[in-house]
Amino acid sequence: MSSMSLWLSISFVLIALLLSLWQKLGLEKEIVISTVRCAVQLLVIGYVLQVVFHADHPVYLALVLTMMIAVASWNASRRGDRLPGVLWRIAATLTTSTVVTMGLLLLLGLIEPTPQYLIPLSGMIIGNAMLVSGLFLSHMKREMNTARGEIETLLCLGATKRQAIHDVLKRTVKASMIPTFDTMKTIGLVQLPDTMTGMIIAGANPLDAVRYQIMIMFAFSSSAAISAVLVSLLCYRLWFTRESMLIP
Amino acid sequence: MAPLLELEQLGKRSSSGPDGWLFADLSAVVEEPAIIHILGKSGQGKSTLLRILALLTRPDSGSVRLAGKPPEQWTPERWRMTMSYVAQQPVMLPGSVEDNLRTISRLHQRSFPADQARAWMEQLGLGGLDWSKPADQLSGGEKQRVALVRSLLLRPTVLLLDEVTASLDALSKQATEQLLADLHRREGTTLIWVTHDWEQARSIGQRVWFMADGRLLEDASSDLFFDAPASEEARRFLAAAILEG
Repeated sequence: MSSMSLWLSISFVLIALLLSLWQKLGLEKEIVISTVRCAVQLLVIGYVLQVVFHADHPVYLALVLTMMIAVASWNASRRGDRLPGVLWRIAATLTTSTVVTMGLLLLLGLIEPTPQYLIPLSGMIIGNAMLVSGLFLSHMKREMNTARGEIETLLCLGATKRQAIHDVLKRTVKASMIPTFDTMKTIGLVQLPDTMTGMIIAGANPLDAVRYQIMIMFAFSSSAAISAVLVSLLCYRLWFTRESMLIP
Repeated sequence: MAPLLELEQLGKRSSSGPDGWLFADLSAVVEEPAIIHILGKSGQGKSTLLRILALLTRPDSGSVRLAGKPPEQWTPERWRMTMSYVAQQPVMLPGSVEDNLRTISRLHQRSFPADQARAWMEQLGLGGLDWSKPADQLSGGEKQRVALVRSLLLRPTVLLLDEVTASLDALSKQATEQLLADLHRREGTTLIWVTHDWEQARSIGQRVWFMADGRLLEDASSDLFFDAPASEEARRFLAAAILEG
């Protein structure tokens, strides 16, 4: 793709801007900031990846993955209502989910241990884990308002923190995982996923592209499950005080 | 032997209370099993006091000791099993009536005393209730009584009751009062009971804690409190309560 084509693609953003102005949606600032961030971030990561692929050194690889996990953790933890300690718990969740999923992909020989495979796939796994963790925190925020009576009732009956919050956690973990499995059900029918689309545009055989996409979706199922369960186990105490009272 | 319950200079802040306190300097000692009614106008912090005793809300000053030990020397679970709170708004846990009644057995790996549960349900006028019915489909009064039996199955030493008869009809209210008074007589369960029903406090209560002006204004035997209240606030409260009647 030439630079000129890239510049021409700004016309799509102009459509969004004009619609926002016409309908007085007040989204112009948001659209401009998002556009600039999207372009700058992608261009920067493009250059970074070029260096990392060229160097093919584990330290660069580790740096890129750490940066991805740090940004994703910060982003997901913002949904956590400034719960103290939520950031490192999310980071631990994303790291574990990525290590397990990517480790299995490598162990089974499904991908090659090169930055070209490790970085984009890890990025997708981290992104999915971030989504699941963010959803978990959002759902918990809602549940902690609606299910307060249920939790306190159990506490009054002598339940431990874990027993008192167990049903709430179960509902929340389930709700956080559902979007991943819903996507798996409709993929290919409703939307063509990014990896597959990218590979086909780049000239790959559609069946090869589909095989990769299936592998990625299956990997998502494990990363979603690991993330949802782990984040719930690591975070549930945050909604209680040391004396097992619900935080106000 | 240490007193059953000691409240020492308890206080809870509130933006709407006098001097920024909902109540302050609240001290009382319960030496032996008793039926204590907490009386006072709405907004005096009666429910908050029960929640503090149940370790659901932190006091802003003072301390509580149960059997001579502060909360730090108990596990929160053991404290709440010894002194259990029954809320004014009963919350049914997901599942059937039986699931709710079995909660204690499930949480604490105890066998389920079905005969005892059935006897209490019958005593409270719920003998005909289908135990397989989803608990959230019960009426408010049924929920309140099921919640009470659920807590009774814990066999607590102290029961913290927050207006548990407020939503009951006259017959169910009488049955509940009878059951709780029997329980106190037979098993020595202490009842600390928030109520707006002064007749209830007079007929089955032994002691009254009267809260007004952000303080525990009177701590007296029921007879003394109703026959000769010491404070002007209590006299006004009783006069208004009798008028409302």
